[in-house]
Amino acid sequence: MFLLKIPIRPLFLLISAVALFLAPLSGAASAETPSEKAARILRAVDDMWRGESSRANITMKVETQNYRRSMRMEAWSKGRDFSLVRILFPLKEKGVATLKAGNEVYTYLPQTDRTIRLTSGMMMGSWMGSHFTNDDLVKESRLLEDYEAAITFDGARNGRNETDFSLIPKPTAAVVWGKIEMTVAEGLIPVVETYYDEDMKVSRTMTFKDVRVFGGRRLPALLRMTPADKPGEYTEIFYESLKFGLGLDDSFFSINSLKRESR
Amino acid sequence: MLIRMAWRNLWRRKRRTLITCMTVAIGLWVASTTLGIHDYSDLKMVNTSASMGFGHVSVEPLGYLNKPGFDKSFRAGVEMTAAILATPGVKGASPKIIGPGMIGTASKTVGGMLMGVDPAAEKPERNVFIRAIIEGSPFTASGASEVVIGRRLAERLNLKIGKKLVYTATDAKGEIVSDIARVRAIFKTGDENVDGGTILLPIGKLRGTLHFGPDDATVVSVHVGDERDADGVAADLKVRVGAPGVEVRTWRDTQPDLAGTIAMDKSFHRLFNTFIWLLVATGILDAMLMSVLERKHEMGLMMAVGTSPRTLFLLVLAESFLTAIVGLGIAIVMNLPWYWFMTTKGIDLSAMVPEGYGVSGVVVDPVIRMVLFKESVVRIVVTFFSLTLVAGLYPAFKAARVPPVETMKIV
Repeated sequence: MFLLKIPIRPLFLLISAVALFLAPLSGAASAETPSEKAARILRAVDDMWRGESSRANITMKVETQNYRRSMRMEAWSKGRDFSLVRILFPLKEKGVATLKAGNEVYTYLPQTDRTIRLTSGMMMGSWMGSHFTNDDLVKESRLLEDYEAAITFDGARNGRNETDFSLIPKPTAAVVWGKIEMTVAEGLIPVVETYYDEDMKVSRTMTFKDVRVFGGRRLPALLRMTPADKPGEYTEIFYESLKFGLGLDDSFFSINSLKRESR
Repeated sequence: MLIRMAWRNLWRRKRRTLITCMTVAIGLWVASTTLGIHDYSDLKMVNTSASMGFGHVSVEPLGYLNKPGFDKSFRAGVEMTAAILATPGVKGASPKIIGPGMIGTASKTVGGMLMGVDPAAEKPERNVFIRAIIEGSPFTASGASEVVIGRRLAERLNLKIGKKLVYTATDAKGEIVSDIARVRAIFKTGDENVDGGTILLPIGKLRGTLHFGPDDATVVSVHVGDERDADGVAADLKVRVGAPGVEVRTWRDTQPDLAGTIAMDKSFHRLFNTFIWLLVATGILDAMLMSVLERKHEMGLMMAVGTSPRTLFLLVLAESFLTAIVGLGIAIVMNLPWYWFMTTKGIDLSAMVPEGYGVSGVVVDPVIRMVLFKESVVRIVVTFFSLTLVAGLYPAFKAARVPPVETMKIV
């Protein structure tokens, strides 16, 4: 669900949350075991990707020891395979666009009018100076394929119903994490995701706040990624607007559209 | 007769002759030692660099050298390896998959080089990484999800034996692929770059990750017994396993930096040796000229009683030749224990050389040893004898031109 897709795919995050929303927990058969329930939710999330398209206006704030930056961008996505992000502000970087189509990532630099396909060597680079890497962008991972999911808590907490998931990577899964823990509140609102390394030390934390209504759906508008090893640093993504069901064509996410002026 | 006379003449001035002979001997000693040390360090560097992946000679797909990557591969089955191993001079051959990739853990992701090796064909003496393992043991199964990493990389990625890493690369079709492997061993070559970005994977596993065929490789590294045979073996291999789209290269192509460094080193050494030879030659010239000049009276007398200028000329040449022979004899006696010491023990400079000092990515051994190739010895001896004779020419010429009557007046 929202985890793993976190990276630069803030949109995906939200969509996955939407997917959760659309796959009601309550619809479960009564004789369901917790692991079946977890699997069902994860599968529902993965399946809900198909076809859904969206458009968003986003503000990203990056805080590091060396610099602080804020940028506005607009983003489109379709399913799990396509996303396109274009920078609107600052002016210096206006028009810089990133396209993800399947396993490929392209960056367009308007100043030199060049489109670069990111090679595996460039994947470790930071995306737009944030705490997300290009690699985060392409790592496609179906949770059920890569993780053993379990529900560790399901009940009332903090004045609402919350469910905790624990995801342990399968031995052969190509994931760096040792474990992922996530909490989902009632209405399938993501609350927090914690990524652990193999020694079960926290590696990074993703928190979801400021629940608003977008296109009739309740979703958190503010996502914050905090790396555990860099105190005081974080990347924050704020959704100013978000629309669904635009019926975007696959061809919208082509290399040519990288250069197109923002619409 | 001439030789005996020359021999006797030589020992009329024992001290001077001995000093001249010592000059010759020391010159020879310095020349052979510097040459020996250079040859040894070059040999060592070439062999170390060969064991860093590409061998002395490499068989690789066309264009691989210009841009090593997983998009260029070829079938390197048992038949090819067998054909390579049957080539005279070849000591070992192993298929490898070498290319750039990304290595990541939860703490960090870094770029590096992925090297897939065949556990059965990869011998420690031909692979510096396996040789340099300081913790754990090399993998044995070709399909295991195991990895051998450098110590610096282990530190950067916070890895220990048994921990997992995810490696990502661009496969033959340009797709980005990734897989997981657990650390089986950690090596330390001493070179920061190498230790910080190289991982060894079993070739079978890497083939699977990259969607390669069961015999596919990006390079077959060939090791020869004697590095100087590399060019001959490469030419031979071109005939034996050459095919369209397959290239055969020597370490000089795959490690151009190192080849350049060594060529530079060799020419510098030649220049240095020329100075030594000039010094030695001047020493001989000086001694011979002295002995001719002080015997002018005697030579005039010999001419007066019928010795031909030619005989006198040859006599002096014979004297300088004998000086050379004696000098060579002393040099051999002096050199033998030295050479034995330098080939077996060597001088350990590790206290003075910073750890991990390397040239062109090849770690330099801090122990100085020497090796004398047959052709080096022949070259030194031939150069040396011709120089002695050349140095003897002027005094001999001088002796042949002694005017008998005038010189007899000199007492």
